[in-house]
Amino acid sequence: MTTAPVRPPLVRSSDRMIAGVCAGLAAHLGWPVRMVRIGMAVAALAGGAGFAFYAWLWIMVPTADEAARRNARRPASPIAPAVSTPPAGSLHEPGSAVDPPFSAGTYPPAYPLRGYGPGSISPGAYAPAAGPAPSAMYDAGTPFQTPAAGAVPGTVGAGTAVPVSGVPGTGAWFRVRSMRYGKEILLGSGLLLVAGILIARLLGAEVPLGTLIPAAAILGGAAIAWMQLDETRRAGLVDKTKADQAGGWARLAAGLALVVAGVLVMVSGSGSWEQTWLALLASVAVLGGVALVLLPWGLKFWRDLETERAGRVRETERAEIAAHLHDSVLQTLALIQRRAASENDVVRLARAQERELRGWLFKDPAKDAGQLSGRIKAAAAEVEDGLGNAVDVVSVGDTAMTDRHEALVQASREAMLNASRHGGGPVSVYLEVSDGGVDVFVKDRGSGFDLRGVPEDRLGVRESIIGRMKRHGGTAEIISSPDGTEVRLKLPAAVAENGEGKP
Amino acid sequence: MSTPALDGTAAGNQRETVRVVIVDDHAIFRSGLKADLDPRVTVVGEAGTVEQAIEVIARTRPGVVLLDVHLPGGLGGGGREVIAGSAALLGTTKFLALSVSDAAEDVVAVIRAGARGYVTKTISGAEITDAVFRVAGGDAVFSPRLAGFVLDAFGTAPADIADDELDRLSARELEVMRLIARGYSYKEVAKELFISIKTVETHVSAVLRKLQLSSRHELTKWAAERRLL
Repeated sequence: MTTAPVRPPLVRSSDRMIAGVCAGLAAHLGWPVRMVRIGMAVAALAGGAGFAFYAWLWIMVPTADEAARRNARRPASPIAPAVSTPPAGSLHEPGSAVDPPFSAGTYPPAYPLRGYGPGSISPGAYAPAAGPAPSAMYDAGTPFQTPAAGAVPGTVGAGTAVPVSGVPGTGAWFRVRSMRYGKEILLGSGLLLVAGILIARLLGAEVPLGTLIPAAAILGGAAIAWMQLDETRRAGLVDKTKADQAGGWARLAAGLALVVAGVLVMVSGSGSWEQTWLALLASVAVLGGVALVLLPWGLKFWRDLETERAGRVRETERAEIAAHLHDSVLQTLALIQRRAASENDVVRLARAQERELRGWLFKDPAKDAGQLSGRIKAAAAEVEDGLGNAVDVVSVGDTAMTDRHEALVQASREAMLNASRHGGGPVSVYLEVSDGGVDVFVKDRGSGFDLRGVPEDRLGVRESIIGRMKRHGGTAEIISSPDGTEVRLKLPAAVAENGEGKP
Repeated sequence: MSTPALDGTAAGNQRETVRVVIVDDHAIFRSGLKADLDPRVTVVGEAGTVEQAIEVIARTRPGVVLLDVHLPGGLGGGGREVIAGSAALLGTTKFLALSVSDAAEDVVAVIRAGARGYVTKTISGAEITDAVFRVAGGDAVFSPRLAGFVLDAFGTAPADIADDELDRLSARELEVMRLIARGYSYKEVAKELFISIKTVETHVSAVLRKLQLSSRHELTKWAAERRLL
């Protein structure tokens, strides 16, 4: 096993000159602080990219204290993570089994930096691209060159990407939201998009801004409106409108397209494009200014909300686990205390509880009632509960139940009952399903008995085990010795109609 | 309630003692196990985490380590990690995996890391004692459930001559595994197949070797697919 190098998380350091951004960045990247600071200063000279980058990190990156507080809220109980698979990790990399926590934890924090860093730190070709976009967000007086509209598309772009990327895959919408660093990635790609458009304009390409901006504004507005709703309400809404099905998405998209088209037609019909453009510019500039002022509060509020929501989700999870433990384990423990005198009862209770808890912890779809091994195990559990002797089942292979298998299960159950009742001590059950058929072996370690001198009550057993197997084209053998008894049941695969009932 | 364990020559012949280290994160279980073990088994150390275990094993150099599959600490690898961390001692120190987990992948992972056997935590003290002596003597200890895993992983059809010998079990090995899965002790297996206990032990050791060395991709695929049985 190779361990990925674990980087310290990106937090603002308390060893600060301004806001601790450079020191934090240096710690995260493992570079000397001085170099990062100089790089930032150089980048600041290159069209203000450094300023923008610094400001952005200042706002987006928590201080060490904040980060510590957030981490402290993680559940301390070892049960919780074992019971509930963390949604973030499992959605990220469903395939890889060993390392996901590591890689997921290590890489994404660096992501926004990777997308951005080269552009803003080295004043290269990217600088103008990365520069204007964020600066448009935070520089109040950006007048004309960077279209003030940039302020909104900046945020809008980020928001927009959410529904857009979700449209093709039906369930993908929510997955994007719940991805661990999805928001940062979306924000980055939105900003890059805006930057790309700006570069294209600088290079003289004809970008239909007149159409793009209203469209982006509408989509962005919708996205922001959606973000107001919390996860559960949104899910409810989507569910109600059947928007999670392909048809629902198509309807939604068509409706949106119609509305956008209508607005565009109305706006462009009411006056010349010049006027519309100016009006739009002015209103967007105002909105941008307001957004700029409110942004810190907004962000803070949003972050608090996020933390609280995460806390609530954990709380619900915990409550559910507590409820289950209360109904099962605590009740059993109480019973065990009351019956401490009877060893049999205690063992039986413990075994039953163990089985139940195991089933709950490792819910296994293969254990559905439709499979033979599931039925055999259920029968074993029933016998174990009834008589108090442990019945251990080992199964190899599996098959879907048929009528003949039903008979086999009944015969096995009878054999287990006998072994448990007369054998005493634990009972071993072995089930093997192969192409040739199904074998079941039930072994106990009792004192054995003589088949020829079967007592009266064994006649029923003979009928319900041997007779039943014969009727369904199988065989049953009972081998008994002073060391114990073994019942061997064999059911050949698909026999002809008349059966091949060997004696 | 105790069953006539894996009663065989191993337990009977060994008059000397075996030094063991118990590695389990539950102190209650450790003390219970200590009380259950035969007086010929001397517990020379205990550990509750991966780091402690590696340290205690390196210091005491026991003959056998009773190793829980799930352990806190380390990189999260549990028992597997302890064996990997004690790799230098594998020649003299034998590992016997103990587990409440029925998860095949856990058990198979520990076996493939180098453990010489696997037993469930619910077996009696006499059985564990017997298993300890067996492992100390260089043999492999298979519980019915581990035998079931093996049959599931390698398939129940015997090997052709042409097959890579590591990837399949021979007809005899299959028979032995089947009987163990059915709850037979080594002695009973020997009686049933008309072979000596020593031969049974040889077969089981061969299966263990295959389980540890086979690169058969079905084996890993199978372990990943089947979270438990």
